[in-house]
Amino acid sequence: MAALATAVNILGMLFLAHAVYSAYEHSLLPSSSTPTAASYILPQALDPKVNLPLDITLETLFSVFLLCAGVVLSSPELKPIQWNVWAGRLERSKEAREIKEVGVGGGNPYAGLEERAGFLDIRAASRGFEEWRQQQDGGKIES
Amino acid sequence: MIDEKDLARRPIVQESVQHNARTVSNIRALTASLFGVAAGTLGLESFPGFIFYFLGTATVSMLIYALKAESKPESYFFQPLGDLWAGDLFGGLMSFVLTWTLFYGLCKA
Repeated sequence: MAALATAVNILGMLFLAHAVYSAYEHSLLPSSSTPTAASYILPQALDPKVNLPLDITLETLFSVFLLCAGVVLSSPELKPIQWNVWAGRLERSKEAREIKEVGVGGGNPYAGLEERAGFLDIRAASRGFEEWRQQQDGGKIES
Repeated sequence: MIDEKDLARRPIVQESVQHNARTVSNIRALTASLFGVAAGTLGLESFPGFIFYFLGTATVSMLIYALKAESKPESYFFQPLGDLWAGDLFGGLMSFVLTWTLFYGLCKA
């Protein structure tokens, strides 16, 4: 995608440079300052009065369209704004689940609420550890 | 109309909203000066130049809609009408006028 965007951008720049240079060269011709015929359809105020040859006009418009497409393609991806879509993507992607710092990463945006050290029942945890150690000791004696 | 109950049921990620708005704003700023180059090269004057700018921004909105938002603007923008179609509509107008006058001067004067 990035290579395509770069290619479209470069192509657009080339076309635009060529079109602008052609328009400049055309402006040096003595015939370039003759006024254009008034449009029959558009009112006087909205008539664009372009007196460039049709190919330069079309090349300018085409190159600008190419460059617009290239700019849009090369811009960063949009992120979904619904919480469920966004969080689902976070939990599914491997690099987002990695814990880089305390409170950064982990994949779960509610991790801070779900694992609260201040609410940890330390007595129950140490009782569980004691039981586990006794089991280990018992296992050692039996073996 | 913002329905608070609806927002509580389906919350919005503020960070993504800001990221999307910034992306659209960057695209608009870049393309506005491009439209200025085109308008000046074509030698547009007064109203047709501004009409050209608004047509161009509409084209860019269409491109964002088709290429970036996957034809579902409501999942990337909180208010698709305001944030995508008319988002930052006048933000690029001054840079448009700047490059418009520059290239008009280069190619016409």
